[in-house]
Amino acid sequence: MKRSGILTIIMMLAAAILTFTGIYLAFVWAPTHETMGEVQRIFYFHVASAWVSYLAFIITFIGSLLYLKTEDMKYDILAFSSAEIGIVFCTIAIITGGLWAQGVWGVFWIWEDMKLFLTLVMWLVFIAYLALRANSDPGKARARLSAVFGIIGFMCIPLSFAANRIWTQYHPTVIASAGGSLQTSMVLTLVTAVFAFTFLYFSILMIKLDIEKMKEEIEEIKQEIGDNGEIDYG
Amino acid sequence: MKPEAALKGGSKISATKAIFIKELKIEFRNKQMINSMLILALMVLASFRFIFSFIDFSETELAAPILWVTFFFSGMFALAPIYQREVEQGTKECLTLAPISASTIFFGKFFSSFLVIMGLNLFSMVLFFVFFSQPFPDMISLITIIVLGTIGFVALGNLISAISANISQSQVMLPVLLIPILLFTVVMTSVEATYQIFDGQTLADLADGIKLILAFDIIFVASGYLLIDYLMEE
Repeated sequence: MKRSGILTIIMMLAAAILTFTGIYLAFVWAPTHETMGEVQRIFYFHVASAWVSYLAFIITFIGSLLYLKTEDMKYDILAFSSAEIGIVFCTIAIITGGLWAQGVWGVFWIWEDMKLFLTLVMWLVFIAYLALRANSDPGKARARLSAVFGIIGFMCIPLSFAANRIWTQYHPTVIASAGGSLQTSMVLTLVTAVFAFTFLYFSILMIKLDIEKMKEEIEEIKQEIGDNGEIDYG
Repeated sequence: MKPEAALKGGSKISATKAIFIKELKIEFRNKQMINSMLILALMVLASFRFIFSFIDFSETELAAPILWVTFFFSGMFALAPIYQREVEQGTKECLTLAPISASTIFFGKFFSSFLVIMGLNLFSMVLFFVFFSQPFPDMISLITIIVLGTIGFVALGNLISAISANISQSQVMLPVLLIPILLFTVVMTSVEATYQIFDGQTLADLADGIKLILAFDIIFVASGYLLIDYLMEE
């Protein structure tokens, strides 16, 4: 087996173990929040998926920059794969956030809150990124166009991340300078969930990269068939 | 010889000027284009006017969104063909073969489309005051905000237009790619500032908002200058 294959399996195992530990910690071990009650438990998965979506979009940005610098297609694939996974985790973060808000604020969504607004915008930007890729033919041109858009779109990530720190409105700030209002067991649960989701992200990313590589190989084989009219089994 | 080497000193400015004049000539040679955009602005404002004849609303509160939605609509139609016509008519190759840098092309097109769209916006603004019996706010402040907001809109729009020109369904893809980025930049800053001007404030009260608008203008013009090279490559 290839080294990347072994690494993927290790990542997946780590993700599985940490996810199950995280579920146990979040639902059984961690104490119920004094003011928010049971609904607060969703927060561990909300923060973890939000963190992964930021990480994924930052990797898209780095992949885009590296592509423009080197013109190596592997960075284009990295940027695209990471954006796709980022969208999934961003969707999870938005939905879990809404469920939490329904329990605590009484409404799913507050349109005036900048954090919520900018996170939804970030989601829209990367939906547009995927639409851009879907509407152009594979190749260097698509890689270049989407890399440029990935770089412009990156601007909303620091804004979304910093929103609740700049405009202190409704959305709570987890990593506050004073350590926040969380108990130690809650912090430990959160850290486990964040690590679990991070490993999950990396294992999905590696599988996705493998799939994209296989797609490329299939394309090459197809081209060979097209050129010779028959498959060269030699 | 590198393209830049062929240009000495002021000739880069004269190349930008040449592109600027060429763009304006194309724009005004076919008066149908300008006419349709003016009519579109009229139609958008008329639809708002008719809708709000039936719905009770505060004109002062909705003035800013109505104005900017009209600007966006007519502006996007003006932005879409800027790079698309170069691709369709095969003149993109000629432009890239010319001994000028891509940023020269960007700035030439930026200045000409800014002039056209700004004219269009001023026309829409006058129409707005005809249709909606609004007390005039501080006009110098209002026009300053419109000019500053339009700089960012046009700079970003030019860059996105260069992306969408190279993909399929480019007419649809321009707004799809442009709107999410506009949301957290121009919409967030200029629309809010315009709202406050209609609310009776002047430029002096809006120093922070104007700084933010200027920051986005600089970011978009700079990213256009830095990234256009990759979009003009063949």
